[in-house]
Amino acid sequence: MKLSKSKVNQALDMLAKEATVLVPMIVDGVSKFAPWGTEGKLALDIVNTLLPPKDALFPQTEKMYKYKVSAETAEVKEITDSDKQVVFGLRSCDMHSIDCMDAVFLTKGYVDNFYSRKRENLTTIAINCTKSNPTCFCDSMGVDPNNAASADMQLIDIGDAYVVEARTEKGKAVEALWQPLLEAGEGTATPISCELKLDMAGLPAKLRGMFESDIWDDGYQACIGCGTCTYICPTCYCFDINAENHGQEGVQFRCWDSCMFSEYTRMAGGHNPRPSKKERLRNRFMHKLAYFDERYNKNLCAGCGRCVVNCPVNIDITRFIEKVKEVPVNG
Amino acid sequence: MVEIERECSCEKNPLVPQVCQIVEITDETPDIKTFKVKTMEGTKPFAPKPGQLGMFSLIGIGEGMFSITAQGEDYLDFAIKKIGMLTDALHEVKPGKQIGLRGPYGNTFPTEGCKGKNMLFIGGGIGLAPVRSFIRYAFENRKDYGKIDIVYGSRTPADLCFKDDLFKNWPAMPDTEVHVTVDKGDENWNGHVGFVPAFVEELNFSPADTIVVLCGPPIMIKYCAQSLKKMGFADDQVVTTLEMRMKCGIGKCGRCNIGSKYVCLDGPVFTMAELADLPAEY
Repeated sequence: MKLSKSKVNQALDMLAKEATVLVPMIVDGVSKFAPWGTEGKLALDIVNTLLPPKDALFPQTEKMYKYKVSAETAEVKEITDSDKQVVFGLRSCDMHSIDCMDAVFLTKGYVDNFYSRKRENLTTIAINCTKSNPTCFCDSMGVDPNNAASADMQLIDIGDAYVVEARTEKGKAVEALWQPLLEAGEGTATPISCELKLDMAGLPAKLRGMFESDIWDDGYQACIGCGTCTYICPTCYCFDINAENHGQEGVQFRCWDSCMFSEYTRMAGGHNPRPSKKERLRNRFMHKLAYFDERYNKNLCAGCGRCVVNCPVNIDITRFIEKVKEVPVNG
Repeated sequence: MVEIERECSCEKNPLVPQVCQIVEITDETPDIKTFKVKTMEGTKPFAPKPGQLGMFSLIGIGEGMFSITAQGEDYLDFAIKKIGMLTDALHEVKPGKQIGLRGPYGNTFPTEGCKGKNMLFIGGGIGLAPVRSFIRYAFENRKDYGKIDIVYGSRTPADLCFKDDLFKNWPAMPDTEVHVTVDKGDENWNGHVGFVPAFVEELNFSPADTIVVLCGPPIMIKYCAQSLKKMGFADDQVVTTLEMRMKCGIGKCGRCNIGSKYVCLDGPVFTMAELADLPAEY
């Protein structure tokens, strides 16, 4: 079945009656996933949005529980709100990022209930890429820009319409809802690949042996510790937990944190195991390209290129990967 | 050679604390207090294994991860040093204060793998707090372990933690020796004076059939590890615990990683052999 591009607005209207539908939009000049029906211009043709859709599952600030305290007593009440959400039009790189967050928040002993409630209520509708940006390198990271394998539904852009492929129960429910809009039709898109190619073969294992390498001595100096790379990264998931007091009541919340900030690892008493930008940048690149692979068997880099484009001092993970390749194997 | 045991599970939301109550506060040293905690119903909040951690909160002020130094039928004990914002506030509270508690977190001391072995427990300063959970377990299951040696040191006699255990309870246990040292004595101190690593070498323990549990300030761990190596202890005979800044306690929030391991989940207990395979970033 296919959905004519002229009926996308209607399709989104139908979904929006049942859920908050996050779509790529340009809002005040910033491209991001915003709720359909709010101010902004639908932007299904841009390759990837400046801000990824990760906050659908992992909000920048998320309330965890309310509390009341007095000099002696304390009360705690968990916040369990979670609405139905659809992310429409996400790219394979952003779907890969959701796969990474699923691995973090849903496996290895503990399920994160705040995440899992949102995840159960989320439907993902991916669209294949028909072009890539010069800074895109997702296929080097094991991501297929033509197909987001784990999405609930894949839309395949065939020019004037999208071929609809529902892959899960959630995806089939969307297809059923759209039935009045769909037409018979098949089609394929011409597969694309990224121009920027990186050789990742053996890189995670090589990097694991390079913790003490002098490769880290160069490049971190430019970093201004702004945290932009981590905030716009679709796979960065680190968070802080804090309290917001209003008199005797308050809310415990978590919010995005950044491994590029010194406070991130600074302990009570002052000891900091990653005291300078050198250790922090090393940890960020190692986490993306080696540690995460070791723990979850995936790259914690989706190859979306957002950090490459937006780092104010041009620290570039792709140039770093090329540099690592040049280091002699036992170096 | 000893294997570290790792398991974890949680039925409730692991990030939401249960409200508990501080029922008793003991001054251990000028800057360490032990807080005895029960649920509001007067029961034990949860049943940790030796070495496991609890996330302890003054709700609205902050949360911190602490080792659980002791437990009984209906309580958990946390020995906490005054060192920062949360612990400063904690040292001001009175018994009866309701607090938040979640856990238990982390892996455990290898109580099973050490069965039948001689045990050498080495602690420095507040580092005795985690080691003590295993010492108490070993005494509760005395027949499972061979000879027990406990080496403990602090800066001054006033800084010695758990004095009743050190000078009364533990020396009275069968086949047990307690060796106490201070960096600097005072006019009433008749015991040993000197740093823990040198003291350990002086005591000249045999590595035969012995497992070491070592915990203290990083510098003490480093030099003790060197001393033990000189004495013939292999890296997989020495068990230690690590500390990092923690927020979630369940291996999600990111900050306590050492390489691909999370101290809150894969630790805090590691053998020296395991640490040799990790980046030295702690």
